[in-house]
Amino acid sequence: MSAGARRAGRLLRWYPRSWRDRYGEEFTELLLDELASRPRDWRRGADIALHGLLARLASAGLTSREQPAPAGMAAMAGALAVFCTLGAAMLAQLATGWQWASPGSATVTAATVIMTLAAACVAVLGLGAVVPVGWRVLAAFRRRDPRVMRPAAIAAACAAALVTGARHFQNGWPGTGGTGASHHLVPGGMAAFSWASTLSVSSFWAHPALLARFPAAELTWMAVSPAAGIALLVAAAVTVRRLSLPARLVRYLTRLARLTTGSAMIFLCGAVIWLAGERAGAGAGLFRPGLVDGAELLVMGLALTVALRLARTLSRALGRSAAVAGG
Amino acid sequence: MPDSSEASSSLVTFGRYAGPATLILSSLADGAKHGYALTKDIEQFSGVRLAPGTLYEALSRLEGQGLIEALPSEDRRRPYQLTASGAEALRAHLADQRRVADIGLRRLSRSWGPA
Repeated sequence: MSAGARRAGRLLRWYPRSWRDRYGEEFTELLLDELASRPRDWRRGADIALHGLLARLASAGLTSREQPAPAGMAAMAGALAVFCTLGAAMLAQLATGWQWASPGSATVTAATVIMTLAAACVAVLGLGAVVPVGWRVLAAFRRRDPRVMRPAAIAAACAAALVTGARHFQNGWPGTGGTGASHHLVPGGMAAFSWASTLSVSSFWAHPALLARFPAAELTWMAVSPAAGIALLVAAAVTVRRLSLPARLVRYLTRLARLTTGSAMIFLCGAVIWLAGERAGAGAGLFRPGLVDGAELLVMGLALTVALRLARTLSRALGRSAAVAGG
Repeated sequence: MPDSSEASSSLVTFGRYAGPATLILSSLADGAKHGYALTKDIEQFSGVRLAPGTLYEALSRLEGQGLIEALPSEDRRRPYQLTASGAEALRAHLADQRRVADIGLRRLSRSWGPA
């Protein structure tokens, strides 16, 4: 391979695979001609890097350019997963506090009720999405399709590791033994599981001296569980992208996603009520929000903005496809 | 055939790619060309050298809007040609630009004297 071809290949890697599949060959030829006539031009490299990154954003559905539906859905699932992880950590903190005592504050009570109901809606909607997609994955296993089986097996292994780990570490839940009133709001087992699965969302990362006193197994779990979560997300996204989802199912999933973003907005309102109310008030113990809760709220807001934008883009794209199909 | 205002607005929606899109459509107006031939032709008639990333971003937008279409590859180079709606969009867009240029030149001439 010539030096020019190697340089063209390196420049082409700025673009996502779907773009390279469509334009890669002809773009490489253009680059070879360009490199031959102007071997050195930093503006050309910058232009390709910029447009390659924009094409990557577009293929993930993060710009107004239309993107393939499975890619947009995967990106939206990723944004919602970030939101749900941080939301679960936040709600677990409140639920743990409720195990020991009522907060004695109408703000915390209202916020917890709003957040719990919204979280229940998100869970039901998530289940509504997982069942039909899981059914399609099973069908792929029955016809022994290795393109789907491999990422689906990785996703299942990551999910099993996360559930097993959380089940193990929930034994150390700080709410155990409490006699508070939260049993009516969030079942203890669920609160303990949420706490254990989101142990890594912690302000202890900013205090290495305190962190060093944690048992080695717990520290390992705090480091490994986010990695397993990311691996689960990526594997699930690859699986969904490789499944040929019928347009009807894509429309159904998009509708569910819109409802999920609506529930997430309600959850976020609850979180804002808690943080805004308690910062000014005299919340005690676990009901008093810390810096980490503020940071979580910020990231959740960003994740939700991304998810809302993706949901809008997907709906528009699906609307256009339906209009084209209907003539 | 789309009406001229609709055809013209299809290029306005290109935002900052309206300039490159106009240059590409103008270059394709006299026949199909592949990427490098487009770059050279545009540089020759306008003095603007489109960088590869900008060129292909505009090409993919034009193709997505149905204003150009790809022909079968020739020796790994893929030529593009204008479609009927692309020709109409270019005609309407250039007519708009000419109208603006005429008004500007007329006003310049009135206030600052003829060139």
